[in-house]
Amino acid sequence: MLLKNTYNEFIKILSKPRSYLGIGALTLLVGIIIFAMKADGRSIISFVTSSFEQTLTFNGDVLNGNLIAFIILQMLIVHIPLLVALVTGDLISGEAAMGTIRMLATKPISRTNIVLSKFIAGAMYTLFLTLWLGLIALFVSRQIFGTGDLIVLNSDGLVILQDADILWRFGLGFCVAFLSLLTVSTLSIALSAFAENSIGPIVSTMAIIILFTIIGSLDVTVFDNIKPYLFTTHMASWRSFFEDPVPFNSINQSIIILVVHNIVLVAIAVYKFNKKDITS
Amino acid sequence: MKKFLTLLIVAIQFSFTAQEANDILSKVVTKLNSVNDYTVNASVKANIPMIKILPSKATIYFKQKDKFKIVSKGIVILPKQGFTEINGFLANKKSYLAVAGDTLKIGSVMTKLITVIPNGESNEIILVKLWIDTKHSAIMKSQITTKSNGSVTTTYSYGDYVTYGLPSELVFEIDVKAFKLPKSVAADINKSTTEKKTKPNKKGVITVTLTDYKVNTGLSDAIFTKKK
Repeated sequence: MLLKNTYNEFIKILSKPRSYLGIGALTLLVGIIIFAMKADGRSIISFVTSSFEQTLTFNGDVLNGNLIAFIILQMLIVHIPLLVALVTGDLISGEAAMGTIRMLATKPISRTNIVLSKFIAGAMYTLFLTLWLGLIALFVSRQIFGTGDLIVLNSDGLVILQDADILWRFGLGFCVAFLSLLTVSTLSIALSAFAENSIGPIVSTMAIIILFTIIGSLDVTVFDNIKPYLFTTHMASWRSFFEDPVPFNSINQSIIILVVHNIVLVAIAVYKFNKKDITS
Repeated sequence: MKKFLTLLIVAIQFSFTAQEANDILSKVVTKLNSVNDYTVNASVKANIPMIKILPSKATIYFKQKDKFKIVSKGIVILPKQGFTEINGFLANKKSYLAVAGDTLKIGSVMTKLITVIPNGESNEIILVKLWIDTKHSAIMKSQITTKSNGSVTTTYSYGDYVTYGLPSELVFEIDVKAFKLPKSVAADINKSTTEKKTKPNKKGVITVTLTDYKVNTGLSDAIFTKKK
């Protein structure tokens, strides 16, 4: 029953025009970035390397598909949560707003399973969005710009990764990025269980992300104890796969915190939906 | 009269050291000029503060007077100065003044220091110091100081191609104190500023090992204009 309901929920997601808005926006944005990099990528790269180029020369194809994919990921991973929340924030509250929640609750499936099926459907949509981003960012960029070594700029300096050592980093990076986006999806579903309209959970999700990100970026000691537990602190963990050596301990810690967030948020959504008064 | 004599002695001595320096340089330049073109495989190992890169391979093409190209599959980091500047700079004898200095033993080789000062103020190079193996007329060590990029010290090792003055290994020591990362792109949200306050080393070392020289094969100019 859970699987059947998950299938139904996924069909519901696919039938909503807003679900394609995210994919369309993503495709357009990646297209614009690739066009911009093709037209003026060299000057963007030289802005990053200019400090080093006073004394050194970087020979070889610096502007390649791997670098473009990394830049796209870095730029878009900040904005994708909005595209995810736009769809998943509506999953429970949308039913309440349209009045279909009563009909849904009369089906021979427990309320817990209803929430779980919505969570799984939301996760599938998020996975599709992440895969789509990976596909167009990595494969299209590599097709247009070719492959090559990847220059990554961290706060500690430049890391230059060899072409043969990159694809697995992207693969694992996408997995962690998916987990981060899944947390956003779960958060919006949890908030959706509290709301009666679609806009509230979407805006609240983004407000929480912005608030947590600002707290995380403030160098104030009073927040030092909170920062490691904010999910936004770990949303950029995918980037750690592009460090050398890869800080697996810190990535594992981020994965644990994100997974715990997902479990807690699903539990909250299940609890709230089970207590939800659908009769009035 | 005494002052005049002192000045005369100093002038004569200077003229001798300048003559000696010019003779030594002339032999070096003749040797370098005997190479019209070359192709060589390079293995580059860079140990530069704030840059992490694995050793990389490249092919270097050179053709007189100043055509220089590096072809590599991956990214190769090399110093901005040090490869061809000396050849071009020394070739024009009228553009500099050379003075012979002390002798210095580098490894097992006795070298003579030649200080080269450019005549014109417009030159990017401010000062060149060359430690030359007078026996083989080969540069063993050089230090180029430029207006905008600080100084680069290069140590040369020679193998089979010492007769052409072509080294088998170059070790560049570069000044990296000016490296600054643009904050807008380098900022990691999750890293606190206290983590960033690590002082970088002041010197970066790039070791270039050169093998399989192909000298005077008549390289086409098209190689230097073609993209990759």
